Amino acid sequence: MGGAERRERERRQAATEARLQAARKATGRASRGGILGNTPALAIVAIVVVAAIIVGVVIAVNRNSAANAPVAANYPVSRADTVIVAGRPSAPKTISVYEDYLCPYCERLEQRYGDQLTTALNAGQIKVEYHALGFLDANSSPAGYSTRAANAALCAADANIWPAYHAALYAAQPAEGGPGLSDEELIQKGTDLGAPDTFGQCVTGNGNAAAIASATDTTVADPALQSNGRFGTPTVMVDGSKVDLNDTNWLTEAIAG
Amino acid sequence: MRRVTRDRVLNVVGTLARLGLAAVWLVSGLLKVVDPDQTYVAVRAYDVLPKLGVSVVAGVLPWFELALGLLLLLGVGTRLVAWLSVGLLVAFIAGVSQAWARGLSIDCGCFGGGGAVAAGQTQYVQELLRDTGFMVLAVWLAVRPRTLGSLDGRFGAAPAAAGVGARRDARGTEGDRD
Repeated sequence: MGGAERRERERRQAATEARLQAARKATGRASRGGILGNTPALAIVAIVVVAAIIVGVVIAVNRNSAANAPVAANYPVSRADTVIVAGRPSAPKTISVYEDYLCPYCERLEQRYGDQLTTALNAGQIKVEYHALGFLDANSSPAGYSTRAANAALCAADANIWPAYHAALYAAQPAEGGPGLSDEELIQKGTDLGAPDTFGQCVTGNGNAAAIASATDTTVADPALQSNGRFGTPTVMVDGSKVDLNDTNWLTEAIAG
Repeated sequence: MRRVTRDRVLNVVGTLARLGLAAVWLVSGLLKVVDPDQTYVAVRAYDVLPKLGVSVVAGVLPWFELALGLLLLLGVGTRLVAWLSVGLLVAFIAGVSQAWARGLSIDCGCFGGGGAVAAGQTQYVQELLRDTGFMVLAVWLAVRPRTLGSLDGRFGAAPAAAGVGARRDARGTEGDRD
């Protein structure tokens, strides 16, 4: 091996080494702060993510706080066939609620507006006609929970416990696809609220089933209650006009107007 | 020179992955945040959590998605955000899979919507494939977070115009760290 050749090889090695060192320096900057990224970026990620979580939790807690201190119902309840009429007949505004005890959006409606409705009913500002339907009967297994629950609620009206029973059915709303609450559970909820013995027979007998089925058929077919040609629960009317439930001020406006 | 071209291509691919995943989170977060009741019903339909858990998840999830989307859009802490995205997608895939396995009939509610659907209307295969596609984007960014036009670059990542040797070593070193 000649001297010139060796010098050339050493020169090349030195050049390679220098390049590698420069490169390590360059990438060292990229990795400052650890394997996930540099410190300022990680701090920003932490701040943004924690802020997002706090916003979400605060909103969730605010939306749920109403359920912790429910307003006590202090309004008259009457029954017209399968329709529950809550509030004083003289109330200036009439709200009609078409609901199904298995419908999760109905549970949300009750959760969100239940207290506000109760307050306005107590004050005599509104009366509310509750049409509990068997709309989602096919969504329980075995089918028919919606009708059984609607029947039990009518029994509860006869037993003078309707407001609390209505709330209790939503508080314990079963998941779609399951069996729903059993007759025994439906009866127990009434007994807990002071229903007489006849309540149990009324629930088990399911005597309003045919009337509920017929009311459901009529309701579903009513064009005034449909959106885009379809009926869905919940549907709410104020003095005969269908309410857009996406507008969360609908009830405030209905009470004020 | 071939290395430079390849790196440039990978940077472009990474950038598309970053912006694509950012769009996914921003759109899905926005659709959830504008309809909290719908989001609650969608989360509840998975039938996994108690009421309080459903409330918290339905409340936090949209904002968490928006946060991930915003951070990816800006390119801040891309690797960490990519790992958080992987974690969230794993949770989504697990949720949809358990619903499928248990025979529930639900819509995933991934981009708004959600809740129970008729037995023949489930789309679990499409939903899982879609989530897997998003997972590919997230894993790419977790493994190779370098992209164009990110704030990470401004915080002191290797300059884009570094020499050939630097690039070669940058790749090697990143590989070691991964």
